[in-house]
Parts: sequence; structure tokens; C-alpha cells
Amino acid sequence: MEETEKRSYRGDFPVRDEDVKASFKYNVADMVGGEGLLRCLKCGACSGGCPVGAVIDYRPRKVLGNVLLGLKDEVLSTDQIWLCAACFTCEERCVQQVNFTDVVTVLRNMASKEGHAAQGYVKMAEMVRQNGRVSARTGLVDKMREQLGLPPLHDPDITQLQGIMKAAGLNEVLAANQKKEVESD
Amino acid sequence: MKKAIAWGCLVPTRRSLIGYEAATRKVLDHLGIETIDIPNETCCAPFWMQSLDLTTSIAMAARNLAKAEEMGLDLLTPCSGCFHSYKRVNHVLETYPDMRERVNEILKTVGLHYDGTVEARHIVDFLYTDIGADKIRQKSVRDLSNISIGLRYGCHMLKPHELLNIEYSERPTFADELIEQFGVNSVQYTGRHRCCGGLLRGVQDDLADRILHERLVDAQDAGVDGIVTVCSLCHLQHDMGQRTIKRKFAMDDLDIPVLHFPQILALGFGYSPEELGLDLHTVKTDKIVAKIVGGGSR
Repeated sequence: MEETEKRSYRGDFPVRDEDVKASFKYNVADMVGGEGLLRCLKCGACSGGCPVGAVIDYRPRKVLGNVLLGLKDEVLSTDQIWLCAACFTCEERCVQQVNFTDVVTVLRNMASKEGHAAQGYVKMAEMVRQNGRVSARTGLVDKMREQLGLPPLHDPDITQLQGIMKAAGLNEVLAANQKKEVESD
Repeated sequence: MKKAIAWGCLVPTRRSLIGYEAATRKVLDHLGIETIDIPNETCCAPFWMQSLDLTTSIAMAARNLAKAEEMGLDLLTPCSGCFHSYKRVNHVLETYPDMRERVNEILKTVGLHYDGTVEARHIVDFLYTDIGADKIRQKSVRDLSNISIGLRYGCHMLKPHELLNIEYSERPTFADELIEQFGVNSVQYTGRHRCCGGLLRGVQDDLADRILHERLVDAQDAGVDGIVTVCSLCHLQHDMGQRTIKRKFAMDDLDIPVLHFPQILALGFGYSPEELGLDLHTVKTDKIVAKIVGGGSR
């Protein structure tokens, strides 16, 4: 008798048990701004108004789904949480006040602590730590200000700013993301 | 009427944005509103910084608010990013007692304290709500009825409305009403209120380009003489970013000047384009300026 190939579907699914961290959603919901997460109905109003979703395949609902499912590592180490442009349209439209943008901030904070911050933002933060502003002062613009009759540009209180950053723990976050850059070199 | 004013990082330091500061100062002066700059203002730690660490960002923004509190003044800002940050500080301090304590612990290390009593206001909302369109019409001297513009409110002056204490609307009209006092034709078009992708600049540049491309196509299709922005990031995107979009998407005929909202008000109040820095923008403003100065007086 001819042997037929044994067909199996069990054990072949996109999300594996070992990838699911069931407590993840509660950890997110415990953070400032994360409270709305557990109210999510996955209705998709967030995705409907998303300006990023209009140009690429990006769906806030899917990110929320991943968090609710407990896919911690995937959520925190991929760029899905760094694609949000923070326009707050989803937050404004959400019937459940999930506040996706605030949930994204919680997720980004978690990812940043683990060294997965977007390098562009890390560079901007270093710029602020050094200059007190996110943009550098230039002699050319100083001259243009004078020509426009604007008062001379003041110097940001860099001592206070760096003191605040240090006391609040930003230096550790930046250091965690520095290490990553060295490793990837 | 006296207010503290926070200008933000970008507005006073970028070539194409200092006209925003110049125009704002002139508008406030024309309307008799006295302002004091926040002494040695530091970065307000907006959304991108909140992404790295929320607690640090709240404490950083609270620094400037603490300075306003010391002076006993409420705070005005022309920057939508700053506005959003300062509103978030008060919201977080009110909602989370632990955060209030933690933020003040941090501030104490640099000799500061913030009680949360300073009300932050966006300059556009302030002009509409506290000064009013009528007063602006009474003070207008130049007729601007021969220009059609696309007004962009931007995201961070409007959303989320509860946090920002702004009247809820997906299609707001308050800023339109202000410039319509000079006769400006503010064109309603698709995409006017959609995100420009500004916060993705430097992080997801290709994405920021693709979103901006859609916005510029929207404005071009609307056939406006210029775009008028409220948000400094919107301006950087639409004005500085326009060259990139022109090249990347082969839009050879793309040439839309981008003005700052207070520049339109100041032009209506009779100030000259030169003293408002209109010659400093990346996209040349000559054509729309010629239309404006050739417009006439009222």
C-alpha cells in the first residue's frame, strides 16, 4: 500500500507559547500613561486615521494586539513602536480612551532602558544635554537676529538642565543606548 | 496684560524660523500685550524626548514652568511642541501624586520647585480666545484679500483636545477666523489637517518624506498661493523639506512658499515683509509677498 504523507497543522502557528509573556500587558498598564491599554476593543479606529498607515503597512491596532498578546520581545526590539509620528489622531478618535500614543511612550521608555531606543532621538537628546537646546546656535543666525531687531539669544541654563537629566536618570538611558552602538560596529 | 513667554529651541535659532519670533513679538506689541522671556530657557523635552524617558522629560519641562511660577505669570508659547509639553506637565502632576513628588525631588537637586499653578497657552488660541477676532479686525491696516492660503494648524496645538484644553474639532476654524479678518482666503482642502511626519525626521527619514510628499501634493492640488503653518516642525518639513520632495518625487513644478501664522497677522497689521524675516525662508516668498504688498490698505 502506498504511504501517504502525513499532514500536520498542529504546532505550526505564527505565535509560539514561548514568545508570549502573559504579564507584559499588566506591566505596561501599570506605567504612567499605560492605563488605557486593557480597555482596547481592537476596533481599529486608531489604524483608520493613522497618517503613517496611509503610506506604509503600519497599524496601531496590530501593535496594541501584540502588546495585549504578550509579545514583549518583538514589541520592544523592533521598530514597530518607533514608527508612530505622534499626531494624536488615534488618541482623539479612540472610543475607549486607550491613548495609543501614551501607550507607545510607555513601550518606548521600556525599550530605551533595554538599549533599543531610536538612534536619532538618542542623538537629539545628547545635543540637548550638551547645548541646552535641540538645535545649535550659530553666528550666522545671531547676525540675522540682530538685523531683524531681535534681542540677543540667551544661553540656556545648562547647569540646571544637566542636573535635572542626571537626577532623573536620563544619563543611564543614554548610556544603555551608547553600548548598543558600539556592539553593532 | 503680562505673560511669560517660552520660545522653544527651534524658533529662535533657525534661519527660516526667526521670522516666527519677529512676527510674534510685533503682533503682541501691536495688541499691547507685555511679555517677559523665560530666563535662560532650556529644552521643553517634547514627545521625542518623552519617548526616551517620561520622568526626565516632565522634570525638564517643569524647569521653565517653575521659572514662570517664580515670576507669578502664566506662560505663552508660539511653539506647538512646547505647548504640548507644558500641558502634559500639569496633567501628569495633577493625575499622579507620585510623579508630583518625584518631579519635585528632581527639581530640588537644582534648587527649583514647581507647584503646577502656571497655565500654558498656545499663542494662537490665546489670540482667538482672550484677544478675539474683533480686536484683530479693528487693528488691521492692510487688505490681504488677494491671497489664497492653505492653513495648517498642525497636530500638537489641537490633539488630544482634553489635555490641551482646546475646543474639540476634527475641522477647527478658530485660526482661520483670525486671518480672515484681513480678508485672506483660507482654502479648505483635503489633507489640510493631516500630520506632516515632522517627528519622524531624523529617525525614519524616508517615512517622513513620504508623508510630507502627500501633504505637499494636497496643497499643490488646492492651488494655494502659499502654505501657512502654526507649528515649527510643520514649517521645517514644508519649507526646508520641499527641496527633498521636489527631487525625490520628481515634482519639478513644486514651488509653494511657507509662511508662519503670526507673519500673516503682522502683515495685516501693516509691518513690512523684511522686518518679518520673509526673505529668510528656504522656499522663496517673492511671489506671495508681491501680491500682498500690491494688495492695498483698508
